[in-house]
Parts: sequence; structure tokens; C-alpha cells
Amino acid sequence: MPSNSLVKSALLAIIITFVAVCFWEIHLRQNGIKPDYDNGAELWTNKRKMVYEPSDKSTVILGSSRGAYDIDIPTYERTTGKRAIQLCMDGSSPRTVFDDLANDPKFKGKVILDVTEMLFFNNIPFMLSTPAENLAYYKKETPAQKVSFTLDVPLEANLVFLNQGFFSLNALLNLFHLKDRPGFRPDLPFPLEFNSTDFNRQNRMTDKFLIDTSLQNRVRGIWMMVNGMLPPPIKGKEFAANLQNVKENVTKIRKRGGDVIFIRTPSSGPVAAIEAKVFPKSEYWDKLLAVTGCKGIHYTDYPALSNFVCPEFSHLSPRDAMVYTEHLVTILKTDKN
Amino acid sequence: MVFNSFTFIAFFIIILILHNLPFSWKVKKINLLIASYIFYAAWNPPFILLLWLSTVVDYFVGRALYTQPNKHKRRVLLVASLIGNLGMLCFFKYGTFLLDNFVGLTNLLGFDYHPATPNIILPAGISFYTFTTLCYTIDMYKRRGEPVKSLLDFSLFVTFFPHLVAGPIVRPHQLVPQFESPRKASRQQFFDGLFLLTLGLFMKSVLADGILSAAADPVFGSQAGLSPLDAWTGVLAFSGQIFFDFAGYSTSAIGVALCLGFILPQNFLYPYAAIGFSDFWRRWHITLSAWLRDYLYIPLGGNREGKLKTYINMMITMLIGGLWHGANWTFVAWGGLHGLYLWIEKAITDRRTKKLAFLADVKSTPVNPTAPIAQSLLSVNPKFGLPKAMLTYLLICITWVFFRSGTFQGAWLLLLGMTGQIHTAQPLLATISIIKVGVIIVAMLAFHWLMRNTTVLQVVSKLPWFTVGIVWSLMLILLLLSQESGKSFIYFQF
Repeated sequence: MPSNSLVKSALLAIIITFVAVCFWEIHLRQNGIKPDYDNGAELWTNKRKMVYEPSDKSTVILGSSRGAYDIDIPTYERTTGKRAIQLCMDGSSPRTVFDDLANDPKFKGKVILDVTEMLFFNNIPFMLSTPAENLAYYKKETPAQKVSFTLDVPLEANLVFLNQGFFSLNALLNLFHLKDRPGFRPDLPFPLEFNSTDFNRQNRMTDKFLIDTSLQNRVRGIWMMVNGMLPPPIKGKEFAANLQNVKENVTKIRKRGGDVIFIRTPSSGPVAAIEAKVFPKSEYWDKLLAVTGCKGIHYTDYPALSNFVCPEFSHLSPRDAMVYTEHLVTILKTDKN
Repeated sequence: MVFNSFTFIAFFIIILILHNLPFSWKVKKINLLIASYIFYAAWNPPFILLLWLSTVVDYFVGRALYTQPNKHKRRVLLVASLIGNLGMLCFFKYGTFLLDNFVGLTNLLGFDYHPATPNIILPAGISFYTFTTLCYTIDMYKRRGEPVKSLLDFSLFVTFFPHLVAGPIVRPHQLVPQFESPRKASRQQFFDGLFLLTLGLFMKSVLADGILSAAADPVFGSQAGLSPLDAWTGVLAFSGQIFFDFAGYSTSAIGVALCLGFILPQNFLYPYAAIGFSDFWRRWHITLSAWLRDYLYIPLGGNREGKLKTYINMMITMLIGGLWHGANWTFVAWGGLHGLYLWIEKAITDRRTKKLAFLADVKSTPVNPTAPIAQSLLSVNPKFGLPKAMLTYLLICITWVFFRSGTFQGAWLLLLGMTGQIHTAQPLLATISIIKVGVIIVAMLAFHWLMRNTTVLQVVSKLPWFTVGIVWSLMLILLLLSQESGKSFIYFQF
């Protein structure tokens, strides 16, 4: 092909690509979808690096998705005047990251550790895999990956279609609902509206989710299914070893001048009932506090925290997260000094 | 730095601008060299010292090898270079593996020896640039070609960023002359290069990372036995993933170099259209196959020392080729299986050659496993070409089981699954995943078969401009939609 023809081909390709991408972006925006950030290892690493800023005054929020939804970071920072860094991971045990912080001599801050019993008191490999992957990325991040992240952030902040979880090619192809073989375990089909991630990793339910009960019911169904699939809780020696490990990490952080506070955020309806039955407070939460010698704020112990209703039984709405965080900070300031 | 990243896009734009500014050729070469070091240092800056060491040592040793008249001294120099290059490779790549095997052996003999596990990080691309510098010193020892005139040209030959970390493995005569006179891409070369870069990224990001890895990873990561459908889907997906990943890198590398006006050798020629295994190795990772042929198989004696020695040399070459890919016995098994295939193929072709020679009353010639025998002998009956290619592909898929599995237990479990020996397997892959793999693999095989005697650029040159434009835009749109930037290429670990 003569070079002029190839130039024409290139120009045509650029025009078609530009028009197609603009059309797709406008279509998504017209459906009320807003840009957010991919909550992957890159963003997590960016936050992990901030735990030293400043090293003795930062508060690190560890936990699973409840910590990410329920503690409103802007409210926490406004009411305490301290920097809050959120390192929670969905569907994961926070113990791996807690271990990492405890063994990091440079970290001297405070840890607020969200305890979701089924994740915290468990050793199932899949609950430990994402923390391990994120930590590996953090420890091995290359200069090229740092630059790529810097260039990627403004694009993700402004373009809706750059949502890997829902609008990547693979995710779109997976929308074709074909009958699977009997016994196949599908991925948990969370709706797009359930989650929007800010740059500080704050998770929020969208306005659409809060008014659409069918979406809420879909997520409620997922939680009930997850609760039904989990193996029995750890007990005996395994539980004792688990607590011992947490205690050792608490001691390490305290030795450097830091502190650890455990929190149990609200859950509602049948999810709360199952959790209370499978993980009785006296056998798990109380023992955790007794063994570690840490202070803990369980939502059922405080009237101001116990009246929240989670739209899908497990996480707070953005508005409730702000109220919950204000109450939490008040309790931290008064009760826990 | 990987080609499929925002960092590379920014880096490449700067390089293109610098390369097209009115600087002297020497300044442009210095720019390219600095850029290549930045490209490499973007992974792990300290490892650049190894690259410098390897470059400087081999430049001076290469010159000395060429000019030194004393045979004994030349041998000493060659051995020093081999020890230096291979020693570095052995330490970084095979250090832990050798120690593990030594510990295993001592424990087997009854010694209670448990040393601390060394934490050795593998420098990216060490296998590739070691082979690049090795071939130079060996060529200088054999006085094939002249020494590179300047350290700048030699450094650029070793370090030129498109080929540095995952090939193609270039020979001095392929690249060094291109550095001797000013080069700038013609308009044709520039747009050909951009097209190849897009195609390479499409292969890597859309097909390998976006779709096929989603099926291959869970299958090879499964600790439980699998049904034949899941097991075969995973293995076929990996056959596509490894091809699109590696050929995608090579295509991108050739495209990037072409945009700057340099020509790198082809590394893949539709390998899944191969008829037979020697044909496969002429189409898969061509520059490595040629390197192993010229610097290992032929020095071992090749096919010049009788049948038995030929078979042994073939197997040694394939076993070392396997080990080159990774410090694990599963890679050796992968190479061994290919060696076995080549043995069987050679036995069959030798027999046919004899028969044909007898029938035609002509003398049969010795067969070189890397020479074009398969095409001439196996395609005696061309109508069976496609079934033979399919059989070759399926047998190669079995070798990928060893290549991708981390352990022999894992490989064995997967082979049991593929042969239907697991009766209690739970379904692992979604129907949509199986369909995606099926569509891509069938399309890949069809493309390989249809394109087996041509190249992408030849086909592009014959198509109307708007067809090329539409295909190009489809690749770009799918690339943007795939959102798979930044993932490392599989061959970086080798």
C-alpha cells in the first residue's frame, strides 16, 4: 500500500475511534453514571505510601468493605483534624495488612480496625489473596508503574468508560447471560450502582441504589448467599493463634507510640442476626478486646450507633456514614480519650 | 517499562520527537541509548549496572578475541566471557533452583542440610541480553564478522529498547550496521510501524490479558481436578495467551523500531499453522531457535556425526532451550517433550526419505532438524496439510501443560482432567468464558492457516485503505475498552 493510503487509513482509524469513544462516553453519562476510580492495587498502593504523612499523627483505617463504606473520611478528618488513610479491601481479612503495618518500623500512627467477624476470624485463602496481591504490588512497584498511575489518575477522574469492573471489554462480554453448567459458582453479581469509589478509596452507594429497592434486594440476596456458603468459624487453637497474632501486632504498634482501636460497624436484618448467631459477641468480640487489651467500639454498645439501618443489611448509606463517623469520633474523644 | 502502559506512550512520543529533531547522528544515538537505559531502569534501576557490566566487558573482550593472534589466549578470553555471562545468568536465574536441587539431593543422601532461602530478584530480560552479548563474543572468537567499531554502537546494539527485555534476540550483523549511518523512518515505515505497534498491543492487551488469561489462570491455578471441558478450555486458552502475549511483544517491538527507522528480525510466523515440529520451531520464537541452532546444536556436532549423535544433540538442545525459559524442571520437561516430538518426526521423515529415495532412485540427504524438512516431506500429500497442522497444534498444547504448570503434580492433575479421568469435578468456567475462548482460538487457528505463507504488512499493502482504516480503528477501540494496561509480558520472567 502506498504511504499516502496508509496515512489515510491512520486518519480514518483515529476519526472512527474518537467518534466511537465519545459516543460511548456520552451514552454512559446520559444513563446517570459518573466517573470513579478503579479500586485496585495501584490506588491501594498510593494510599499505603501515605501512612507516614505524618508518621505519628496519621490514622489508618483497616478492614473490609464495611470500613470503606461506613467511615466517612472527610467527616473523620474534619472532626479530628487528623489525616485518615483508608486501606480496607472488599471481602478480605485485614489481618495481613495489619501484620504489615505492625512490622513497619516507620509507621507510628493510630489504627482503626474494622472487625467483620466472618472475615476477621477466618483463614480461608481467598480472603487473604487480595491483601497479599496488593502488598506485593506495593513492595515491588516499579518507577514505570508510578508514572503510569500518575498519568492514569486524571483520565479515570474524568472518563466514565474507564471503569474496569463494569465497562471493560471482558466485563461487557460477561453481560451475556448464558446458562451455566449445574454446580458452577458464578461471580457475585453486584450491581454497578452499589459502589462508587473516590480517590481517597471512600466507597459510596449511588443515589440510584438508595432509591431502587430491586437493586438493594439483589445485594441482600448476595449477602445471604455468601453467609450460607462460608465454612464454620474458627475455634479452639486456631482461634487462639489468631488472637495471639493480633495481640503481638498490637504490642509492636504500641511500642512505637501508636495505638489500635477495634470497631464493629452496624449491620441489619437477617445479616445481623446470622452474624450474632455464628459469631456470638461474648465469644469473639469480647475475647478479642480481652486478649489484646485494646479499646473497642461495638455498635450494639452505644445507642447513638445502634439505630442505623443498612439499605442492603451490611453497609451504611453515604449520609448515615457521615452521621456514624461523627458519633464514632465523639465516642473516641470522650469515652476512649 | 512495558509497551502497554501510559508511561510508554509518553516515553515513546518524546523519543520520536527527539529522533526527528535536526541533531547529529551521534547525538541521536546517544539519545536512543539514554532512552534505552531509562526504559530498562524503569523496572529496577540498580540492575542497570549489570547491563553496563555485560556491555563493557563484552565490547572489550570481543575486540580482543578478534585481534588476539595467540590461540591459547583467545580461548582463555572466550572462556572468561562465557563464565562472566553465563555465571551472571546462573546466579540470578538459576541460583535458587540450583540450591533447591542441591538441598534436595543432600537430604536424599541423609544429610540434614537446610540453608536460608536466598532472596534473589531476577533482572528483567537477563536471558535475552545475555544471549545477545554471548553471540557477539562467540562470533568474534570464530571471526565471523568484524568487531563493532565504537562502544556507543555496541551499547546501543545490546541495549536498544525495543528488543532489550524480550527480544527478538538480535545478532550483530542484523542491527549494528543500522547504527553506522543516519536513519530516520520513511513515511511508509513510520505508519507500518504504528500499525504493527497497534496490532501487537491488541494481541497482548485485548486477547491475551483481556480474554484468554481469564480462562487460563483459574484452570492452571486450580488445586482440584477438572472436567475435560474446563481442562481443555484452559489449555487452549493458554496456547492462545502465550502466543498473543509473546508475539504481541515482538510485533510491538518490531513496530516501535520501525517507527524510528530500524528493522528488527521477525520472531513469529504463524506457528500454529506449522506442519510438524521442526516447522513449528521455524515459526515460533524464531530468533531463539536460530540462536540455539547456531550456538548450541551445530557446535555440539549437529547432524554431522551420525544418527545417534544427531538425536542426542537434538534432545540436548531442546532440554537447554526448555531450561532457558525458566528455572524449573517443568520447563525441562516441556523442552524434553518437544525433543521427543522432534525425534519421532525425524524417524518418520528419515523413513520416508529412504522410501522416496528408493522409489526415485536418488540418494537421501542427511536431515537437519531445523532445516525445512517438514514442508518437503510431510506435505507430500498436501490435502492432509490442515489435519497435520491441527495434530501438531494439539500435541503442542500438551507441552504447554508442563510449561504453564508450576509443578509436576499440577501438570499431572490437569492431564488427568484433559483425559476425563476426574469423575467428581465441579464446573470451573462460565459458559461465556468457554465460548470466548472457543471463538478466539478458532479465529486464531484460521488466521494462522490463511496467513502461513505471508506477512501482515504484505496483506495490509493489498487491502483498500478504508478497510485497513476500519480494522485499525476496531483494534484501537477494543484496546481502549480492554483497559488492561500495565500488565507484564509473560516472557519478561524468562
